[in-house]
Amino acid sequence: MRRAVGSVPLLLMLFFIGHAKETRYSPPGKPKLTSCRSPEKETFTCWWEPGSDGGLPTTYALYYRKENSDAVYECPDYHTAGENSCFFNKNDTSIWVNYNITVVATNALGSNFSDPVDVDVVYIVQPHTPENVTVTVMEDKDGPFLRVSWEPPRKADTRSGWITLIYELRVKLEGEEEWEEHRAGQQKMFNIFSLRSGGMYLVQVRCKPDHGFWSEWSSTTYIKVPDYFPRETSVWILIAVFSAFIFFILTWILNLKSNSVKHCLLPPVPGPKIKGFDKQLLKNGRSEEVFSALVVPGFPPTTSSDCEDLLVEYLEVYTPEEQELILEEGKDLQEGCLKSKGSPSDSDSGRGSCDSHTLLMEKCGEGEGKEEKHQERAQKGKRQQKHQTGWEEGDVSHTREDVLSPDMSEGRVKTWPSVFSPLPQYSSRPLDHQGSLETARQLCLSDSLFPPPSTSSHLSYNAKEGLALGSGQQEFYLGKKQTHPSNPQSQPRWHLQAHSDFNISSMDRKQAASGLQLPGFRSTEYVEVQRVNQEDMVILQPLFSSSCQRDGHLQIGQGEDYSKVKGVDSGNMLLLQREVEVKREEEDGDRYSCDIQDRVTESCYTTSTAASSQVTGKPTSCAGTAMPVQEEMVLAANGYVDAATMLL
Amino acid sequence: MVWVAVLALVYLDFPIRVGTAAICAHGQECHAPSLADLFDRVIQQSSRVHGISSELHSDYEQYFFPSKNHIGKRKCHTYSILTPADKENAQRLGREELTEVILRLLGAWGDPLSQLHRSMTQDQNQDFNHYSSNKALEMSDMVHELRSGVTKVAEKMKLLGVISNALGYMSSPESLAPSSVSSSYERGDFNSIDHHDLLYCFRRDSNKVKNYLRILKCTTLPELDC
Repeated sequence: MRRAVGSVPLLLMLFFIGHAKETRYSPPGKPKLTSCRSPEKETFTCWWEPGSDGGLPTTYALYYRKENSDAVYECPDYHTAGENSCFFNKNDTSIWVNYNITVVATNALGSNFSDPVDVDVVYIVQPHTPENVTVTVMEDKDGPFLRVSWEPPRKADTRSGWITLIYELRVKLEGEEEWEEHRAGQQKMFNIFSLRSGGMYLVQVRCKPDHGFWSEWSSTTYIKVPDYFPRETSVWILIAVFSAFIFFILTWILNLKSNSVKHCLLPPVPGPKIKGFDKQLLKNGRSEEVFSALVVPGFPPTTSSDCEDLLVEYLEVYTPEEQELILEEGKDLQEGCLKSKGSPSDSDSGRGSCDSHTLLMEKCGEGEGKEEKHQERAQKGKRQQKHQTGWEEGDVSHTREDVLSPDMSEGRVKTWPSVFSPLPQYSSRPLDHQGSLETARQLCLSDSLFPPPSTSSHLSYNAKEGLALGSGQQEFYLGKKQTHPSNPQSQPRWHLQAHSDFNISSMDRKQAASGLQLPGFRSTEYVEVQRVNQEDMVILQPLFSSSCQRDGHLQIGQGEDYSKVKGVDSGNMLLLQREVEVKREEEDGDRYSCDIQDRVTESCYTTSTAASSQVTGKPTSCAGTAMPVQEEMVLAANGYVDAATMLL
Repeated sequence: MVWVAVLALVYLDFPIRVGTAAICAHGQECHAPSLADLFDRVIQQSSRVHGISSELHSDYEQYFFPSKNHIGKRKCHTYSILTPADKENAQRLGREELTEVILRLLGAWGDPLSQLHRSMTQDQNQDFNHYSSNKALEMSDMVHELRSGVTKVAEKMKLLGVISNALGYMSSPESLAPSSVSSSYERGDFNSIDHHDLLYCFRRDSNKVKNYLRILKCTTLPELDC
């Protein structure tokens, strides 16, 4: 029946072909069956692809044959499934039966059969997409999760077990590219965990029969996860807080124990420990201040026993009333003299080693050596000392001659540069007295000093602090025996007459100067340095008090004997006191005289313990040192009297 | 001593044969598996059988027959067994008949599969046969197990009163196979084309079995899985 119906259009086409004009018409091309699909294993649809139509209207027909049957049937439904399709409904569909399907394209010029296709419906099942995909956010103790649920496609009968579907879903965050796929099996629900807080998720589901094709993905379902605090993050925050706490504790402890830690890790480097050394001053860059700070009051040790051994020239200035200064050597010198050794150049008259100038020099050197050892001094001071030594040596010889020779007209005066006097603020007391009293200083004037030019140089050197210059005339000369005719037999006493104008106070300067006149020197007092006691006091003794000399000098002065310098007070005043040792002097008698002489011959020592109190052996150096000395108040803490400054 | 050995063998052998026996530990309450469990087991088994048969068939198709249009003349030996060809027919059939159909199908394939395996093993021209013969053997064994399993299910259903006792085919499954087909199998001269046809037929029938079992389950025990 169908065949007969189908052949009619063929005959018509053949008829038309005969009348066709000469155009390029051809039989239709071969159609092709593209696919056959069954959505629920109850119906199926086949689609074909038409070939070229050959320029003529072409019709298509689908024919099929069932398995083990020779009957050919035509497609019952060409329209339900659309163009170029054939729909087989339930009645025409048999499962587990092989269909042999063919499509025929026919136009006026001919027809064309497609290749046959064998189809078993069981194996071409492709269901529709799952339906009713719902996604909900559910809460759990670990946090929120997504619950995805769906339903099988409407036409697929899974309830009766006719078709069994397995499902698959995929999820992704909005903006991501890759999906996360999950197999759900036959269940119609699925949970998704580990969500990002506040993220927007996309969910899709599809299904497949156990032997068949996957369906299309369902339409996307959007779901937004609410903001929540993930438990893992809270744990990390807890750990971070705890670690920070521990860290702060450790830092605090480290801070507290920073010192001990520093000592552990960075052991302190031992630094210099100089007593009195101020690093800060050094940093300031003033070396002078630094070194001045090094001057320790207790150094050089003046109270030690070495003091006695040191040929220190200490000037003991007695009370200013008497103004009788007896410049004497230190007592230790006397003792040293007593212990004199023989020396080849000793021109001593045989009295003893006291006269040995070499002895003295040795002692001087010794003392100086000791001094040098004990002291920290500037290079200048050391040099000065050495100079003094040399100078002293020469002077000693000179003084020796002077002493020995009765003729002392030379009037050489030795300046002892190491003798410092506390000049400043010297009260006017000395002037109150007879005025002729001067604070005699133990002065060693070198020969070089004596020549007027040098002297004048000194003279020109004005003392700043009360060193009275007066008219500038300063004369020092040894006390000569000639001046004391009353005592011809007495040993030549070498006494120095300090004729300088020691006007310590500036006010008294002029007055003192006036007092210091050449003719006035006669009224000067002769002072002998008796010794230097341990208190850095130069004990002076007026000449008249000694048995070696009797003169009327005392008459000039008071009956009192102020030949002992008690000391120098803070006001830079020479304090004189009554000489108690005059008697002793007398007792010693001659010995003293010669001692005195010896002492006198003693070279100048500059026992400068401080830079400020240095007196060099050279006159120039004396002058040189005098300058800084003046600046610093000639008074040294240790009681040295700067003779050089006095000169000036 | 000998008795102990015999008893041990019996006890060891026992769980293998009795597919549906419950294996319980000592002291534990033992109970026979439920119908649902039985159904699940047989359905799983049938699904596995069908999977293996599909694999074998596709292997044969790729190896020997590039063109797929060779099927038309084939006739399976189970052609005589009337099976429902659509859902309505299957639902109209009823549980008992459905069960019977299943059992028939399974019974009809016992021997052919064994022969197939033997034939594949004997054909040593290709390496392919060596790989496939193992599968055929496994398939054969599984069909045997499946058959006994479905029998158990039927008995269970009878026990539960789900189906009536009006079943006569269980006693003699060998008569189910059509003689024409079985005779060709008995001849033993299989070739590759026969192999291919046999596999095609079996694949379909295993699918039927699986489907019928599912329908049976969902009809008897309507659960969420259906």
